[in-house]
Amino acid sequence: MKILGIESSCDETSSAVIDVNQGKLEYLSTVISSQVTVHANYGGVVPEVAARLHIEKILPIIDEALKAAKCDISEIDAIASCAGPGLISSLIVGVETAKSLSVSLNKPLIKVNHIEGHLLSVEKEFVGKIKLPAVALIVSGGHTQLILMKEYGEYELIGGTRDDAVGEAFDKTAKILALGYPGGPALSKEALKSGGKNEFNIKLPRPMIDSGDFNFSFSGIKTSVLYKWNDLKKTLSEHQLEIAKADMAAEFQQAVVDVLVEKTIQAGFQYNAKTIILAGGVSANKVLREKLANAVEKRLADVEFRFPEMSMTGDNAGMIAVAGYYHAIKKEFADPLNLSADPNWELV
Amino acid sequence: MGENITNNQEETIALGKKFSQGLSGGEVILLIGDLGAGKTTFVKGAAEGLGVEKVITSPTFVIMKVYQTKKHENIKSLVHIDTYRGMDAIELENIGAMEYFGRKDCVCFVEWGAGLEDYLKKRKIKTVKIEFGSLSENKRQINNE
Repeated sequence: MKILGIESSCDETSSAVIDVNQGKLEYLSTVISSQVTVHANYGGVVPEVAARLHIEKILPIIDEALKAAKCDISEIDAIASCAGPGLISSLIVGVETAKSLSVSLNKPLIKVNHIEGHLLSVEKEFVGKIKLPAVALIVSGGHTQLILMKEYGEYELIGGTRDDAVGEAFDKTAKILALGYPGGPALSKEALKSGGKNEFNIKLPRPMIDSGDFNFSFSGIKTSVLYKWNDLKKTLSEHQLEIAKADMAAEFQQAVVDVLVEKTIQAGFQYNAKTIILAGGVSANKVLREKLANAVEKRLADVEFRFPEMSMTGDNAGMIAVAGYYHAIKKEFADPLNLSADPNWELV
Repeated sequence: MGENITNNQEETIALGKKFSQGLSGGEVILLIGDLGAGKTTFVKGAAEGLGVEKVITSPTFVIMKVYQTKKHENIKSLVHIDTYRGMDAIELENIGAMEYFGRKDCVCFVEWGAGLEDYLKKRKIKTVKIEFGSLSENKRQINNE
């Protein structure tokens, strides 16, 4: 079964083609507007799509995805469209394009929730192989949630942030430390420079780590960084500040990772998880991946740890197509004349 | 509301709750203050005062969130917008925010909101400004005219 995925919920415009054949999953192509990544099947250079608006990019990107997949649109069995959550003006472009294609080509249409997409972005070679129940930590600029996956398509909210999302906390802390944009990767890079001596005694709280529930709070930690950094700026020399900056970045990253790992492991225990899933844009953070992988191995016996390929951590249509597949096999299709984008669509 | 000092998050929430009791619907409130000054915390309080059941989270990346209220005769929705990522008024129009500004059955809280006051004034929509300042790590000064 070949599925065409379309994603435009926020900043990225993306399209992808997947093929599922006798349980084997193949990502034939994934095209994302800010970066064009094409899988091994296609050897050539894909032209950069320069237009700023989703509406200018969407059709060329769908074209590229089909071309890179060496697939004609007539071979597509269904169209999976991310219908929410996200920004209404962005979502509408993808949804209306998907609807038009569905009607004009007479192909079934599937509506996919963006968060479910992230959750299933961890599917690699085979479909339907996630050992259940699974506990998923979805972390991005806009979302931070712990979700229980009981079955494919059956999800429950375990916990989430009470204020800032993890990606946002990285972004804002990077801004406080004047580290440039995008903040998350810039902060991780800065953290690498830390020698670990912590000569200025920089210590940050691990918010809500002992709260006894599965919720998070990251707004306070950015305030802690702000105050400590302002204090350090008053007393340290320029050279010392360079060292302190790296230490602060490392301590912030560690504090956030500590909380995320601890709560996820606790949830794994509580819900007898057979799999721990890490997904969302922040799943690209190497320290988070490694610490969580280690914790799963050491503390949760016989539990599998799944995370997406680096190219699938951010918003992309490959994950939308995969999530769409599971709805397609259950014949859960949307009415192409009535489907509406829903910026507030909650998975759980 | 005048000038207020809050000593911790709980007091900022309580202030937001108190503020919400004076709302009648249609207000567009601009929250001005730096990172960590308590803007989102204040909105949490206002939401509590209006009977919003969901947890108010920061809209920095999602830009706009709409919540159903429960405790008010006229106000049916609380709209929470954050323009930290540099959205200007035209971009706010694109995401449908204009549909909420000034509507009698909504109240809109806009964090940062640069340029919005003049833009809305031209469209005859009044804004209320609340300024947030940090006096220390936990202490905040929250004033409105």
